[in-house]
Amino acid sequence: MTAQKRLYSILKNAGLAIYAIFALFPLLWMVLLTFKSDAEMLTTTFVFHPTLVNYEEVLLKTDYFRYIKDSIIVAGGAVIISVLAGVPAAYALARYNFKKKEDIAFQILSFKFAPEILVVLPLYMIYDKLGLYDTYFGLIWVYQLISMPLIIWVVRGYFEDISVEIEHAAQVDGYSWWQIFFKILVPLIRPGLVASALLCFIFAWNSFTFPLLLAGIKIEPITVAATKYLAQNTVHYGQMAVAATFSALPSIIFAICIQKHLVRGLSFGAVKG
Amino acid sequence: MAKIELIGVTKRFGKTTALNNVTLEVHDKEFFVLFGPAGAGKTTLLNNIAGIQIPEEGMVKIGGQIVNQVDPAERNVAMVFENYALYPHMTVYDNIASPLRSPRYKKDEGYIKDAVQRVAALMKIEMLLERLPSQLSNGQRQRVALGRALVREPNVFLMDEPLAHLDAKLRNHMRSELKEMQAAFATTSIYVTHDFMEAMSLGDRIAIINNGEIVQLGTGDEIYYMPCNEFVAQLMGDPEINLLSCRLVKGDGGYSVVWDEAPEHRMFMPANNALFDRFEKLSRADIHMGIRPQNAHYHFEPVEGAIRGTVYAFETIGNKSVLTAQIGDTHLRMIAPNGLPVNLDQDVYVTFDIDRAIFFDAGSTEYIGRFDEAAIRELAAAQAKEA
Repeated sequence: MTAQKRLYSILKNAGLAIYAIFALFPLLWMVLLTFKSDAEMLTTTFVFHPTLVNYEEVLLKTDYFRYIKDSIIVAGGAVIISVLAGVPAAYALARYNFKKKEDIAFQILSFKFAPEILVVLPLYMIYDKLGLYDTYFGLIWVYQLISMPLIIWVVRGYFEDISVEIEHAAQVDGYSWWQIFFKILVPLIRPGLVASALLCFIFAWNSFTFPLLLAGIKIEPITVAATKYLAQNTVHYGQMAVAATFSALPSIIFAICIQKHLVRGLSFGAVKG
Repeated sequence: MAKIELIGVTKRFGKTTALNNVTLEVHDKEFFVLFGPAGAGKTTLLNNIAGIQIPEEGMVKIGGQIVNQVDPAERNVAMVFENYALYPHMTVYDNIASPLRSPRYKKDEGYIKDAVQRVAALMKIEMLLERLPSQLSNGQRQRVALGRALVREPNVFLMDEPLAHLDAKLRNHMRSELKEMQAAFATTSIYVTHDFMEAMSLGDRIAIINNGEIVQLGTGDEIYYMPCNEFVAQLMGDPEINLLSCRLVKGDGGYSVVWDEAPEHRMFMPANNALFDRFEKLSRADIHMGIRPQNAHYHFEPVEGAIRGTVYAFETIGNKSVLTAQIGDTHLRMIAPNGLPVNLDQDVYVTFDIDRAIFFDAGSTEYIGRFDEAAIRELAAAQAKEA
């Protein structure tokens, strides 16, 4: 029995180790590349002469921080708009009965079905005509396709879990609708709202197709800017690795900080017990 | 402290009519019970008084003022919800304090502390004040919900089955407690229940509601002894009233009834002119005779005038038992003492207190009359004067 248990434990840990290597090695490899010079890039694996020249090139000699700023503005702006518009929309979908309610809810979800590359070409034509091409507003708008459905669907579930009598009780207690919303409802949907908003931020941050085709001259989010290090005839893998490492940092930091809340927020209901 | 009036209130949800032209007056300081089966519209009626729902037609008046256009927050009503509706993210203390912290009923924290302590002591939840609702049992949650309503002094208390989820002992305790509290606070209360015992013991007056309409309104005794139709008679009373299909036979200067299940037995009625006059006006000879289980008697030996049947069931319900006899195709419920030695399928002989019977029209199921109606009317009038 104990031998069987030990064997099981060994196999389990071996499996987990294999998975950890599979998941983390690409990241480790990317970090290693950032310390290699172009000369050693393709000739060495783990043993090389570490150098900070790639960091110097990327962080100090290019507009790297401007790209980061652009990314923060468009991803952050997209999430803020999605929260401001999505939470009331979710409330309406959860609480009110109106014609074609489920159709509208499905329509919102279906924005996430189409491949981005499919919609981006017609969008490019429209944006060009409207003067939205290469603007913060244009990108924030198109990012609603990424973030709005997620926020609406997660938060709607939370609202549906809050019994309507709780709102009635607060009305009878003497609160106005807005006070009920901020004092009673917002605290109850907070786990779902925070988790879905952070997930949306990461998705918007990582978006590549939309900024590639709908921006790129004045406004360059980091995902698009990273491709600049592919020069005409040389590829500066080291510099690309630096750009990629830095652009991945916010996602990784967020994911680690909110890991627990992320899983709870997306899987638990609002009112338990 | 206010009179509540509903005038021609109709509430619809899409195509279903939840309340149909309800007119009702609840007196100041009265303990008023709304009693009816599930889905009858009891909760909807409360919601319309609280302002949570607004009727499509009719008027709601609180203290003589029309409040149709007044927000729930401004009506100064306190409500206990059937599913408690506690705020899950607030402690018991904060839940109870919530009405006193709202902009409408704002009080300073010192006052709130005293008020919450007072209510918590009343509800016996002092030791739970720091807990969250999810850490409470259903009975405790219900007491917190009651506490939240009792913490301030509203025009009217609206209570939606507040004792439904308590265990029997606590329920009895809370029932008498509620009645005392209401008398002490002298506040108009409207109480919804589907429990006949609660309705009878708590209500100064009871309104029977069914399919969104008030079927009957009166004191508990009035409704119990003179139900306006068979539906009310069946609702009021546990075990349920026996309804027997009978034929009226006129002769020998009076009336007698013959039960369809025992056509050979003729039951003679004592003379009663008021009742016989109503029988005269009936267009048909078949009636339903309502016999409460305590007015039917069993014998295990043949008795003069008794109807023979067999024992169908014997079940103990607390301090008494119900003996069910099968006669023909009818099951007849009778009250019996606990521990009665009885075998299933043995012969049993049944007699009725015919002078306690309630007669209904077999077609419309409406009340026709009973023998001691005058006495009951007097009793009801006396109760009304008292209240």
